[in-house]
Amino acid sequence: MLEFDFLQPQSLAELMVALDETGGSILAGGTDVIPRMRSNLFSASTLVDVSKIGELSFIEERAGEIVIGALTTHAELMNSEVLRSANPALVDAAASVGCNQTRQRGTLGGNLANASPAADTVPPLLVFDAQVRLVSSDSERTLPLIDFFVGPGKTRLGPAEVIHTVSFPRLTGAWGAAFQKIGKRSGMAIAVVSAAAAVVLDETGKVSDARLALGSVAPTVVRSPKAESILQGQQPTPKLIKAAAQASAGDISPISDVRSTAEYRRHAATVLAERAFQQAVDQAVSLVGA
Amino acid sequence: MKSIQISFVVNGKAVTLSSAPNRTLLEILRDDLGLTGAKDACGGEGECGACTVIMDGAAINACLVFIGQADGSSVETIEGLEDNGNLHPLQRTFVEAGAVQCGYCTPGVIMASKALLDENPNPSNVEIREGLSGNLCRCTGYVKIVEAVRMAAEEISHA
Repeated sequence: MLEFDFLQPQSLAELMVALDETGGSILAGGTDVIPRMRSNLFSASTLVDVSKIGELSFIEERAGEIVIGALTTHAELMNSEVLRSANPALVDAAASVGCNQTRQRGTLGGNLANASPAADTVPPLLVFDAQVRLVSSDSERTLPLIDFFVGPGKTRLGPAEVIHTVSFPRLTGAWGAAFQKIGKRSGMAIAVVSAAAAVVLDETGKVSDARLALGSVAPTVVRSPKAESILQGQQPTPKLIKAAAQASAGDISPISDVRSTAEYRRHAATVLAERAFQQAVDQAVSLVGA
Repeated sequence: MKSIQISFVVNGKAVTLSSAPNRTLLEILRDDLGLTGAKDACGGEGECGACTVIMDGAAINACLVFIGQADGSSVETIEGLEDNGNLHPLQRTFVEAGAVQCGYCTPGVIMASKALLDENPNPSNVEIREGLSGNLCRCTGYVKIVEAVRMAAEEISHA
């Protein structure tokens, strides 16, 4: 195992000081960092362990806005009643991460900072137009989560800057949201393809807002404007949902790797897009006029 | 690399030690404390669950926790389950159901099962399989493991 000094700030203020003084790298749940260090894929002269900073672990609703602290674990996401009512796609995505042992340790902030195109929590956040708040000792900024990711493993996070919170507005009226994922098996699987959809219907049952995000099919998780625009303003019939899902193929650029082939991913993405849209529409339809 | 001081509780006993920070909870349990129940099977990737212990009530992979992160925590290992020579119901039902073959994965499987039953005392077979999806067993085919957890759940709920 590589050598490093170890710091353990107990608060956000102490974390800022530790990062400024050492230029250290952040260790949260460790489920990605520790295997990468063991394989010599990542090294740091100082590791700053944030796992004891309780003030960054919370899920709250503030005036219609859901706010999630960066150190909230996947287990906490999947067991949150607030999220079950506000973003069931995110609950299902968190439940699909790894296994119980890794969900107990792995954090939302870590999943985002890791910037995998297969990150399970990202598609359900993108279809809620989530924002991410980044802080350092002398600045803070909020940017759309979709702009936070630059490429595989690459984000806009600056040196000595940390992910503070992720937030998104609650949808209202007749809405639905769903997450779909295909892996090599149902447990402990990294996504071969993932999809999240959110749909809002007006009082006549027409689509007033359609959103689709696809994972593992491009350098970052992507939204699909082509699919979304086909449903916009229309009655969401199964035939139109299928057409929208098919159109999503124009917004992705899958590759072949250890987990799957580009060809399979291109096909599976349209299948999962259709299932996610249909599940979201079914949920929204049940709320029209309610 | 500066050493760090750690204080935590292992199977109810307070432990204080000094360690290099690049050692894992699993290494400390096995090499310093002589608790060799938790195993390393996948080489520290969090894939196999053989090192599963319970830390502050949650099943975790001890190979994915640097020892400094365990400071202030309470850890339960397979060695802490028996009570004055009496096996925990899970230990007994694993033997009775034939859920132990080579035994290498067993301590991790039992600790993952204990965390499951602590949270959900009456799990369905699907919930048991989901709760143990992070634990690999290359001998049993899992059927007898699920049966053993089921038996222990019934025994505990009728106790």
